[in-house]
Amino acid sequence: MIWLAIVGSAVATYLTRSLPFALTARPALPAAAARYFEALPVAIIAALVGPAVLAPGGALTLGPEPLAAAIVVATVAWRRSLLAGVIAGVAAVALLRLV
Amino acid sequence: MGEGWPVMGTTIVVGITFGVVARQAGLEPIEIAAMSLLIFAGASEFAMVRLFIEGAAAPVVIATVLFINLRHLLMAASLRPYFMRLAPARRLAAAFVLTDESFAMATSHFRRGGTSLAYYVTFAVALFVLWNLSTLAGIALGSTIGEPRRYGVDFAITATFLGIVVLAVRRPADVAVALVAAAFAGALALAGLSTIAVIVAGAFAPLLAVFARK
Repeated sequence: MIWLAIVGSAVATYLTRSLPFALTARPALPAAAARYFEALPVAIIAALVGPAVLAPGGALTLGPEPLAAAIVVATVAWRRSLLAGVIAGVAAVALLRLV
Repeated sequence: MGEGWPVMGTTIVVGITFGVVARQAGLEPIEIAAMSLLIFAGASEFAMVRLFIEGAAAPVVIATVLFINLRHLLMAASLRPYFMRLAPARRLAAAFVLTDESFAMATSHFRRGGTSLAYYVTFAVALFVLWNLSTLAGIALGSTIGEPRRYGVDFAITATFLGIVVLAVRRPADVAVALVAAAFAGALALAGLSTIAVIVAGAFAPLLAVFARK
């Protein structure tokens, strides 16, 4: 099951990378579709965050996660660094779980 | 090439993080290594780990990855005039290493008046090698950390996603899209629909950007 997902995802990803190079004519996208595709990655990645922050154990909780998430957002917005945000977030969660 | 160092450094750190969290999630080293080798897309690989933890079926995983990567179609379409000078086999090989980072570097190179694809190929292949080596390092490291929750390591994946979203936001509409996607997916997960939460909320929220004025 995991291998099917890995190979299938690899094929799907390569198709998105190579399709415009395989076609002979340049594909034209309507402006609305271009806006949709531009916003799509942000939406999918944010959708991955939602459940992990709001319901880490499968139920609505006010645990360390929402506070740590706010710290990550603030750190990355301030420093413009993914690494700084991840370090701050992991440290915050580790500390908040101690108290 | 000098402006590429920060990107390479980030790639190494994120690659190690990926190896660690994937190992901690219970994936086998060979599965994790295959993901970085065959898929070579950071956000997608992290998303897959998250979905494997949720027990999502393969079609759901593949569909989610496809949606995350649809943006490559736009990047490839934009690079197409430069790539079409290559022979078909080389062109399709160069497409395999197309990422957000190599696209950004190639675009800035071409905007400065450059025409050589060697710049893109060198940088993209370097990132591919670094990503796979750092994934392997992360696998080795992840196998040695005993109790991930105690060190907050399990939160690294969520923190990575949050950081990617913050760095990707360019317009006010992006903020709305991100907030709606996160809240909608959270609500679906609370309703017991965690395996399809990401694809449903992720496909719905960009409609806000389509109908936003600016």
